[in-house]
Amino acid sequence: MIIWLLSDYDYRKHLAFKSLLARFSAAYPDSNIEFSVKSRRGLWESMFAHLRDPKRNPLADVMEIPQNWTELFSKLGLLSDLSSGLEALAQRRYPGFILKELCRHEDSRAYSAPWWLEAPALFYRPQALKGAVEDPDKELATWEGFRAALDRVRAPARRGNFRELSVPGSSGSVSVADVLPRVWGRRGGLFSDDFNRATFSREETAGGIEDWLELAISGKIELFSADRFESGPRPAEDCAFIISSRKIQGSGRSGLRMLPYPGYPSGGGLMLVYNLAVSASTRDTAAAMAFVAWAMEPRNASAFAESFGVFPCLKSVFEERLRDEKETGVYRRLFSAPELKPNLMVYPTAELLLERVLWNLSLKIARRDYEREDLTRELIMAQGEADYLLSLY
Amino acid sequence: MKKSGKILYGAEPVQPFYDGRDAFMKAALEAVSEQFALDGASFYEYYEKTGLLHLRQRHACGVSFEHEENLRPLAGSAAARAIETLAAASARTPAGSFLYSPFRFDYCDPAGGRSIIPCFGLVSMERSPRKRRFSPAESARADAFLRSFLRDYYKAEFFSLHRKYDKNVSAITELTEVFATALRVRESFRHILSGIQTYFGFDRVRLYLIDEKNRKLKGELSADIRGQIKSIAYEEIPLEAGAHRFADIVLGRSSGAFMERYKDCVLYMPLAVQGVTIGLLIVDNLLSQQRIEPQELAMLKSFGGQIALAVDNSRLFDKVEELSLYDELTKLPLRRYFNQRFQEEFYRAERFKQPLALVWADVDYFKEVNDTYGHQIGDKVLKEVGRVILSNLRKIDFPCRYGGDEIVILLPQASGAEAQRLSQRLSQELAELRIPVPFSKTRELRVTVSIGVSTFPQDAATMEGLLEKADDALYWVKSHGRGKIALYSDVAEEKKKTAAGGKTDVNG
Repeated sequence: MIIWLLSDYDYRKHLAFKSLLARFSAAYPDSNIEFSVKSRRGLWESMFAHLRDPKRNPLADVMEIPQNWTELFSKLGLLSDLSSGLEALAQRRYPGFILKELCRHEDSRAYSAPWWLEAPALFYRPQALKGAVEDPDKELATWEGFRAALDRVRAPARRGNFRELSVPGSSGSVSVADVLPRVWGRRGGLFSDDFNRATFSREETAGGIEDWLELAISGKIELFSADRFESGPRPAEDCAFIISSRKIQGSGRSGLRMLPYPGYPSGGGLMLVYNLAVSASTRDTAAAMAFVAWAMEPRNASAFAESFGVFPCLKSVFEERLRDEKETGVYRRLFSAPELKPNLMVYPTAELLLERVLWNLSLKIARRDYEREDLTRELIMAQGEADYLLSLY
Repeated sequence: MKKSGKILYGAEPVQPFYDGRDAFMKAALEAVSEQFALDGASFYEYYEKTGLLHLRQRHACGVSFEHEENLRPLAGSAAARAIETLAAASARTPAGSFLYSPFRFDYCDPAGGRSIIPCFGLVSMERSPRKRRFSPAESARADAFLRSFLRDYYKAEFFSLHRKYDKNVSAITELTEVFATALRVRESFRHILSGIQTYFGFDRVRLYLIDEKNRKLKGELSADIRGQIKSIAYEEIPLEAGAHRFADIVLGRSSGAFMERYKDCVLYMPLAVQGVTIGLLIVDNLLSQQRIEPQELAMLKSFGGQIALAVDNSRLFDKVEELSLYDELTKLPLRRYFNQRFQEEFYRAERFKQPLALVWADVDYFKEVNDTYGHQIGDKVLKEVGRVILSNLRKIDFPCRYGGDEIVILLPQASGAEAQRLSQRLSQELAELRIPVPFSKTRELRVTVSIGVSTFPQDAATMEGLLEKADDALYWVKSHGRGKIALYSDVAEEKKKTAAGGKTDVNG
């Protein structure tokens, strides 16, 4: 059996999966599993390569996918229905907000099983904010407050490598993952509420993107930074703020405190959910389903998610983690009004369109020839494409 | 040295071949990590235009993985030096020791193009701060080790391109055959679309044809990435400038910046024969947002003429067939076509024990109409009769202009009573017709029809018998005042009674 895992900037996820597989192999000595780690783009290309030439480009038996890819690839016939074969799904042992989006159109079928989730939040080092922020809970609740605080923060002496803001996991350019929480925070989105038209250029959406681009323009975040290349990951001690959707390793030692993502009016947050799916072309559906069922067992799901600072999706362990979490209060606020990316057929493509917009703009910002009209023009073009897609699919 | 690439050919391989560049990169990083006790190794491609390094593959903590990372080396750094001088360079930072081994080779496009394909990048090798740094001797050894691997990278790349080239050659051969043999419209359009999908595998292919009469661009068929083909006949675009992007393309008008943005994942290909545009073929990768390779675009464009000819040929073939099977005046099938269908329907009725009715109609005094008012008015009468008949039939019914003013209608799964009801409806509608005759006193002409009906299996057990009985019934109507309908069963009953001395009205 072959498994494709989505790559992660935090290598602990790959190691955690390796150890998960070792335990599975110990429990089922007859199993023969290989896994490879694919980037999001690599996985996307592999799925379409399979559709074009299934013989030459076989799919893995089990695949980790972003939850909102489920609708697209199930409609294209690539995924197996898991609802009857997987007890956790049959018994609906997942939080309602996850199932609601997963089974958007059909209550009885589910083509992937929710595995783990993460929620972008703001981390800060109180020491670094001395003299810049009096009351972090209040001042950092809004985007404007956060943005003003970024300007007031000063690098401490003997910290030449200090940065006001760090965004672990950035691919170098501004990406959809960076801007979406802010777009959501402004109550924008990629589509209208009835999903009949694209709204890339709507004021709230464009404004949310612009908020993040402004951080790059003003140098608060560095584009295409060679930092990780030549200096490794930036230690938390070198930053005043970190925006991350993961619990940060050693956050207690660094004195990091956590707050919800700034400027989220509902007090909740954007949740990113990742699922396991079984390929419709697998030769051994039973074995693939058995692995997914095993990975979803509370002990296994919990250990895997814990190892790289995310939440398991299974309801019992999710609630347990929430209870035991040091920042329980913040997480409870985040999960009080959770919002998920729509699991719609054209949504993943719309994200790719926006990704291309952000790549073009990132290059312009890095070359220092970016102008506000560039954003408007790019968004109008991408919106036209997304509308066209909606008319086709 | 362990090389885990898939060996594709050669019994005793000295140099293994890797199944594509990903397999090669993974093997190279795993091998160099093991050989030089590295904590991490990454394979980057360098894009000179943007000055960015793109991470392709990384190996760390015993796991190889793809990851998305784009970065610009700091000016003056070891990595920047390595790219500039194409020589290995090392550095020590608080994060550990780094060794950068650059590579660059250019090769000709194996597809036969004149372009040079550059392959430029570097491999980064890392050790944690606790471990020893890279000595000059070790750096040289690691660089040499990687260069020996890169010879295989060249081969892996070349192999991938060669495979593409092979695919293209097959596509040219087989698609040419598909286009050359396409004849009947429905089937040929399907063949053309599925042929394109088999070899190119686009997200979607759509075919639109120009309806010159109505000045419209009409949707024909669409094939999706899974090869499923469906009709898009519901799509109709007015062929006017500015009405739609497709119309503008067909009319040869520029469609501006929007098209420019699309050019990597959509191809709009107007289909032209002898300088006349007959349709539009659209292929796209809009859902996957994947770039259509320039070679694929070029090849598809080169097929454009053949596709257009195939489409045009199949339309002409259908037109010729239509002319030989249908009567131009009444739009009803001709006797030859009817005989073929009659045989099929009769066998079906026999096999499934279903009723089959045959209606034989004749326009009353048609010869006199021709003689009195001329053939032009006679033709008008026949045209109207054809229209009325076609508008009153079910989809499974089959009418035919049997000869002159005689019309035969086949009614599968219909009983005598059902055939009689249809005949009454036709008779009534035809009687209500007013054919304008400007030069006559009445200024108009009215027509009636005589109709005879026979049914299988009641009246006859053979095709000839069924025709004969319907003709008998028609003859009975004609000899009893015309403008009426008779079922053969009633006529036979009447004949029996007449023979026995009685008389009954057989009209419905």
